[in-house]
Amino acid sequence: MAVIDAPVAARTSREVNRQARTAWGLTTPALALMFLILLVPVVVAGVLSFTNYSLGNSSFDWVGFKNYDRLLSRSTYEKMFIATFTYVVVVVPVSVALGLGAALLVNSLGRIGDVYKTIYFLPVMATLLAMAIVWEFMLHPTIGVINQTLELSCGTFLEAIRFFGNGCADGFPLWLGDRDYAIWVLCFIGVWQGFGFNMVLYLAGLTGVHRELYHAAEMDGVKSAWERFRLVTWPALGPTTVFVVTISCIRAFQVFDTVEAFWPQGGGPNKSTYVMMFAIFEKGVQQNLIGIGSAITMLFLVFVMFLTLIQRWLVERKVHY
Amino acid sequence: MAGLSIRSITKRFGDTEVLRGVTLDVADAEFVSLVGPSGCGKSTLLRIIAGLEDPTSGEIEIGASIVTGTRAADRNLSMVFQSYALYPHLTVAENIAVPLRMRSLSAAQRLPFVGPFLPGAKEQRTEIASAVQNAAEMLEIGALLDRKPGQLSGGQRQRVALGRALVREPAAFLLDEPLSNLDAKLRVQTRAEIAQLHRRLNATFIYVTHDQVEAMTMSDRIAVMMGGEILQCDAPSVIYEDPNDIRVAEFIGSPKINILPVELGHSEMTLFGLVLARVAEASKAGVYHLGLRPEALKLTQAEPMITGTVAHLENLGSEVYAQVALADQTARVTLRATPAERHSLRLGAQVSMSFDLQDALIFDVDGTRQRRVEVALSNEREVA
Ligand SMILES: Nc1ncnc2c1ncn2[C@@H]1O[C@H](COP(=O)(O)OP(=O)(O)OP(=O)(O)O)[C@@H](O)[C@H]1O
Ligand SMILES: [Mg+2]
Repeated sequence: MAVIDAPVAARTSREVNRQARTAWGLTTPALALMFLILLVPVVVAGVLSFTNYSLGNSSFDWVGFKNYDRLLSRSTYEKMFIATFTYVVVVVPVSVALGLGAALLVNSLGRIGDVYKTIYFLPVMATLLAMAIVWEFMLHPTIGVINQTLELSCGTFLEAIRFFGNGCADGFPLWLGDRDYAIWVLCFIGVWQGFGFNMVLYLAGLTGVHRELYHAAEMDGVKSAWERFRLVTWPALGPTTVFVVTISCIRAFQVFDTVEAFWPQGGGPNKSTYVMMFAIFEKGVQQNLIGIGSAITMLFLVFVMFLTLIQRWLVERKVHY
Repeated sequence: MAGLSIRSITKRFGDTEVLRGVTLDVADAEFVSLVGPSGCGKSTLLRIIAGLEDPTSGEIEIGASIVTGTRAADRNLSMVFQSYALYPHLTVAENIAVPLRMRSLSAAQRLPFVGPFLPGAKEQRTEIASAVQNAAEMLEIGALLDRKPGQLSGGQRQRVALGRALVREPAAFLLDEPLSNLDAKLRVQTRAEIAQLHRRLNATFIYVTHDQVEAMTMSDRIAVMMGGEILQCDAPSVIYEDPNDIRVAEFIGSPKINILPVELGHSEMTLFGLVLARVAEASKAGVYHLGLRPEALKLTQAEPMITGTVAHLENLGSEVYAQVALADQTARVTLRATPAERHSLRLGAQVSMSFDLQDALIFDVDGTRQRRVEVALSNEREVA
């Protein structure tokens, strides 16, 4: 037996080797592309974040953690973090909640639901840059629709409310030019633009809810819509929610075009809307400070990575769905 | 516990009429099976009884009150769904507890963090826990209480779904093909469990199935549905031995009943030209269907009534079924033989059979049972 077995074993191991070589050969192009396109830029950015390189310079100096140190000590960057986190903390929950609410309402409608779906999805499809111009008109302090509408309230009972009272006396807010309001306007537009997308994701999630579960809930004595939502809809939407929240977070961290359109110079009144992406653009591209730009990019990547890890952990915890 | 009565229920989906005037009375503590081929409207009827679907017309009465306008949650019925419909994020114990929690805890007591500390909540919760424990032990899923439905086999899920329905004491239980996804062994076992449960709880059951063995073995009465109507609702033995309609006779019984064409003349009945019996009373002459169960046919040497060759054999061990292609006819008949007779049944072998006319069922061409003709035939034999 052994006499026969030995060559067979040798042949199989040679066979396995050959297969493995072919497999690696076939994967190489994909691997090479992945390294070249995805990983190398990240590594390059990481390396550059420790230098004072500027595009066009023939050489650079290693500066160690100075770029990162600056990020954590300068007040400009403090404002950057405040603006970014305010935006994320406001836009993510509001756009997720609105998206869910809209999806539930649209889902409960029949034909007309499609009309609503299209309308809510319009801002997602429209370019934000084009829409920003419309918003800029509407938010104009004197000739904008919004302040003109607000002025209609002057002389009515609404003046009893402080906001309207002050507005009628001293003029309504400058909106985009007001450092107290600018970030909230930015948030509002972010929600307006983003919740349609979340709604579509939730609508897709809702089609996956087993219809018979609602009937089972009814037979089990569930009478209110709220209980039905808690017992059937919300748990079934768990995986969708994890995904929607992560996507919304990443999109919120990436907000840039609105800021660029409204405040091309310097990130809003008193840097109140100086969000990370804009900072990267300003430092790295406009001012050619590649080192600091790369440092912000690395920080941004860390946040996004962190979010993705949380998402994976949540999804894996719910594996028994 | 309560009886149920279903009065001329019709249901239309657009232009298709799914139920055409179904009427059925179910007594308190009765076990009624609804059987019928796929798509005949069994599930639809059950869902109308449950209140998950509105009938186009007709009334449902549970315990002496009409519930047609009442929503499902207020009808106090339990239902097992064809697809289990377990809540995937809840454990087995939580799944079974849902109907109790929803009905015996107030909305405030059900709140996630505050609820357990409200007055009265603690006693209620221990009561629910012990009820769940009892139901789980009854169905032998006590060891699975902490698992999620996704971690269970089909049969275990089945029993969880049953547990969720049986943990309460509703007016009636509605089971929609609850054993359809089980393997043969588990099916027999769970069938026995359900029948036992019915005896112990003494509850009203409506049991939908397309498996006639389940219906025959478990029910007090079987309602045979076809094309949106109930053709007959009677005890299993009556349905089998004394069907009113040829469709009932053909649906119940496995292998299927043999149907042979017979001709009734003025004074005699003939089968393939052979005179079966003489009739004194002038019954309506014409073509009739003669229904013969496989066990009514006997192998014989003397005076054969029909002959043919064996075309197919099925040996089940305790009995043998032979399909016999009749001589000079396209029809085949199925014959049940004892293992002792097996030696004479070989593929291609010639066999002769006879039967007792008393075992035959006679239907007219429309399929309605003709008891008067049968009586006339048997009277004649007594005279002779
Ligand atoms: N929502 C609906 N819209 C239109 N037709 C329907 C609807 N629900 C059921 N039907 C039709 O009603 C008929 C009866 O359906 P039902 O589900 O009651 O059948 P069933 O007897 O339970 O069959 P099975 O044994 O396959 O479960 C079918 O022909 C089906 O196509
Ligand atoms: Mg069905």
